[in-house]
Formats: sequence, C-alpha cells, structure tokens
Amino acid sequence: MSEFEPISFYLVSCSLVSLIPLGLPFPFSSNSWTYPEKLSAYECGFDPSGDARSRFDIRFYLVSILFIIPDPEVTFSFPWAVSPNKIDPFGSWSMMAFLLILTIGSLYEWKRGASDRE
Amino acid sequence: KFHFREVERTMILSVLSSPALVSGLMVVRAKNPVHSVLFPIPVFRNTSGLLLFLGLDFFAMIFLVVHIGAIAVSFLFVVMMFNIQIAEIHEEVLRYLPVSGIIGLLFWWEMFFILDNESIPLLPTKRNTTSLRYTVYAEKVRSWTNLETLGNLLYTYYFVWFLVPSLILLVAMIGAIVLTMHRTTTVKRQDVFRRNAIDSRRTIMRRTTDPLTI
Repeated sequence: MSEFEPISFYLVSCSLVSLIPLGLPFPFSSNSWTYPEKLSAYECGFDPSGDARSRFDIRFYLVSILFIIPDPEVTFSFPWAVSPNKIDPFGSWSMMAFLLILTIGSLYEWKRGASDRE
Repeated sequence: KFHFREVERTMILSVLSSPALVSGLMVVRAKNPVHSVLFPIPVFRNTSGLLLFLGLDFFAMIFLVVHIGAIAVSFLFVVMMFNIQIAEIHEEVLRYLPVSGIIGLLFWWEMFFILDNESIPLLPTKRNTTSLRYTVYAEKVRSWTNLETLGNLLYTYYFVWFLVPSLILLVAMIGAIVLTMHRTTTVKRQDVFRRNAIDSRRTIMRRTTDPLTI
C-alpha cells in the first residue's frame, strides 16, 4: 500500500496545473466597468438574433462510446496479466475468447468506417 | 493494510464521505443540468477514496477510470446533446413529490436489509464487548494483492460472468454504431496493392513542348 505515496504528489500537482489556468483570468475579466451591452454578441449593430450554438453532432458521442467499449477490455486485462500461474491455460483461453468477441466488434467498426475522419 | 487508530479512522471516513453525500444531493438539486452531471465526479472520487481506505486498491483505481472517465463522460455527452437554455428551467419540485416520495421510501426501506446493527451500527449503542478479530495468518506469510485475488477467480471459476460482459460490450458497440453513424461523405481510399502495381511506364507520358507554339 505504500506505493500510493507518489499519487499524493500527483494529486497536488494535477490540481495546481488545472486550477491555475482556470483561475488566472478571473482578476483580469469583467470588473465594475463592464455593462451588458459590452458583453453581448456583436452582429454588425443589429440585435443578436438567436443562439450562437450549432446543433450537437452525434459523431462526437460515437467517439466517446468507441473509447468506452475497449476501456473494460483493458480493465479486465489487468488482473489477468498478473496471475498466469494460478489460472492454468483455461484462464488464458477464456481471456482469448473475451478478446475475440470484442475483436468482432472492432472489426465491424473498422469495416463500417465508424472511426473515419469524416 | 492500513493501521489507523480509531480517531484517524473516523476522521478519514467523515472527510471522504461527507462531500460524497453532499455532491450526491446536489446532483438532484442543481439548477444547471451541466452542474448536475458534473456533481457525480466528487461522488466517484470520494467513493474511490473510501475503497482505498478499505484496502481495495484495484477497485479504487478502476472506479476512477471507469466511472469518471466513461460513465460521467457519457452523461456529460447526453446533457450536451440537449439544447437547454437556462431560462427554460422551471423549478416545480412539489410536482414530483408523490411518486418520488414513494420511491424514496422504498429505497430507505431496502437499506435496512443491508445495515444490520451487528456490523454497521445505526444507533450509537454502547458496546462493552471488544469486537472479534479474525486473523488470516496465510496473508501474513505472503499477502495477495487485489489484482491477484481477482485474477485467480475471475477467469477460471467465474468465467461465465466474465464472458457475458464481453457479449454486452459487443452489443453496445454494434448498437452505438448502428444508431449514430451516418455517412456524410465517403472517405477517399487507396488500394495499396493497386498503387504498387502501377507501372509508371504506362501511365506517365513524356512530352516535350515546342517552344515556338506555346
């Protein structure tokens, strides 16, 4: 259990690295001299006519799903990799069956072109 | 295994579990839906700390990776897909009180199946008996890590429970691709063997231009 001591260092440094760029603009951002007109969007002098957001593209969700599916694959590989002497070849082959089933899925994804850039 | 005194144990326990409870409550009570999706992240983080405290180090790390990295991210994507303007949210909490009250009471009733007063005391009864300590001497000789104990059982004795999630993951993968994929443009591809089989003498011509008739 004592191998978790570097993680406490990572806790502090990761928090600093993410919170310092987040908090640094706050002293320089809107102060008592800003008024709503200054903060509103500029549309050549007309009043802003609608939201600036475009519709969310569903392919971003597909990218996240295609990460989430191999994530348990890797997670299940961790205990399997540590103890090959206790699991006799039966254990190794059951892991191979698992990987084969997920390979079928990734083959489908490849042929379907789900991870193409466009 | 950790060796904490009683004071340290209660301190660590309360420091880890109170933000988890408060964040869990804030999931439901937050006005902004993006906030209410981001509040599970302290819950998972503190639960992972509690698991570390219990000595389940592998599960603590897996909680961080899977729950925050996959589950909370999925919820975040779902919330991003809605086009919610903040002004549209009306606070009418009492509308949900009948059904949610019944479900809440059911959950509260189910908790009593888990908490028996022997191991997890609900009421602070004064116990003069010292709790029994069950020493596993085998683990003092060579203690197994969490990974080893899992790996010993999951792939051999409980392999069916291990292979069924693979089928579930396969269904999820194919289902996600079927439901969300639409081809906007076809990707320009090259056939590598055809590329290598092109004979340059037959496809490239040499021409010279007459400088007078350009």
